[in-house]
Amino acid sequence: MRWVTLLGRIGTVILMIGLALLVASRINPTTGYTGHRAPISPEKYHVMHSQVYTPQTGFQISVESTDNIRVYLLGISPVELDNWRTLLRETYPDLDEIFIEFHAVPMIFFHEVYPEEILPNLDDPQTWDMMWDVAVLDKGLQTYPEIVLWESPPSTTLSHEFISTDELYITVMVANPSFNTVEVETKISDLTALAGKERVTLAAKLLISIGIALAIPWLILRKVKKSTL
Amino acid sequence: MRKDRPFLEIFTYALDEDYRFPILEIFAFLFALGTFVFVDLGAYSGQTKEALAYSLVSTLCGYPLLFIFVVLILKNVAYGLGSDLDRGVMQTLFSYPLKRRYILTARLLSGLGVALLLFFGIQIFGLFLLAPDVILTYPSTVFLTYAAQLCSPVLLLAGLVLFFTLRLKRGGLALVIGVVLFLAGLIVSGFVTSIAYGTGSDLSLKIWAVINPNSALQRYYMGTSGFLFGGESWVPSFSELLLYLGAGYLIVAVLFIVGYIYFDRRLEI
Repeated sequence: MRWVTLLGRIGTVILMIGLALLVASRINPTTGYTGHRAPISPEKYHVMHSQVYTPQTGFQISVESTDNIRVYLLGISPVELDNWRTLLRETYPDLDEIFIEFHAVPMIFFHEVYPEEILPNLDDPQTWDMMWDVAVLDKGLQTYPEIVLWESPPSTTLSHEFISTDELYITVMVANPSFNTVEVETKISDLTALAGKERVTLAAKLLISIGIALAIPWLILRKVKKSTL
Repeated sequence: MRKDRPFLEIFTYALDEDYRFPILEIFAFLFALGTFVFVDLGAYSGQTKEALAYSLVSTLCGYPLLFIFVVLILKNVAYGLGSDLDRGVMQTLFSYPLKRRYILTARLLSGLGVALLLFFGIQIFGLFLLAPDVILTYPSTVFLTYAAQLCSPVLLLAGLVLFFTLRLKRGGLALVIGVVLFLAGLIVSGFVTSIAYGTGSDLSLKIWAVINPNSALQRYYMGTSGFLFGGESWVPSFSELLLYLGAGYLIVAVLFIVGYIYFDRRLEI
């Protein structure tokens, strides 16, 4: 009797842990939301989002535009990013530190296309135009193809979900290859992955099965005992 | 009669009292759900891998979940032991051919031991599911984080509440004192950094690290990045960290020894 009770209670505990896992795997993992709307000039590109993501964190991005656009998801390791920032500081010692912090990737692309430029004068609209040119983006992507995690086909409406498997500095770039200005609306929702839903669900099912198998004899015995009394 | 028989009898009685169906099941559900819901996988990004492992484990057993765990511990230690004293059950237990300290050990093994086994069993299982590489790559970080969390507030509060329960012989009041002390700890931890900043001295941080070694652990792994007045704050070395952890456990050990001595020699029913 004592063994049945002990195993039965262990069973009910395992069953409850399994049910909790099942509930946790069903909870919507979205934690935050940001929206952004901006026009992109002809043959130019924009950085729509940049952030460091740790394993099992990520985001869902949905983009709507008035004409075909291309979206690129670029991922750089923190070490590589630090190297790039150091290179930029050495190449452009007078450049504002904040600009290097926030625009390291476009600056590196710019440096690839115009290595002889001593200092990009950011107040000069012509330099600014050169920096955000689609040709600069294309050259950068050709030089560093390993950082492209995802590239969308030309489209007006698209959605993509990204969950990082390593610590990465992620940059989302939207390019307008057309000859018209395009209005682009970007929505980004943060995601947290629960160790792969399949793994959690499998563990939950396993625990629930074991729990029920262990608990049934005790529950029957308990009911019989109650009805006898 | 075998020598361990009375001990097991008392232990079984304590288990029955502490974990009546479905109390254990409800807490198991809350622990498992909390482990997965409160975990913040994106916390403190950009730090070292060890700091990430620390932040993952510390969010896994963060304050909302820790509070539920402390409530279970306090219920068992204060309410369970208190009602035994109050209802005269302790007199019956004293009639067993067993030394008083073994009676208390059986009571604590049920109230504290089983609860710890349940909580940390679910935590380690959750960690294996969420980030198996963390537990395999940084076992010492995981161990130190759990050791610090276990020391304070869990065992420290349990030791204090044990003493108050025996002294007051009223479980309800001891339970309230335990909850108040837990909340007071949260408030004090918020003030300590500002006191250090205001006085320009690290003394308050060091005193607090003795009582709550997790604060030293946090500073060791995270540096001063997670603190409001980070630039002025103190970061311990690894040997200092072990010293603070040891000091924390020494306080816990003293509290339990005092409780045992009081139960063994001074408790009158």
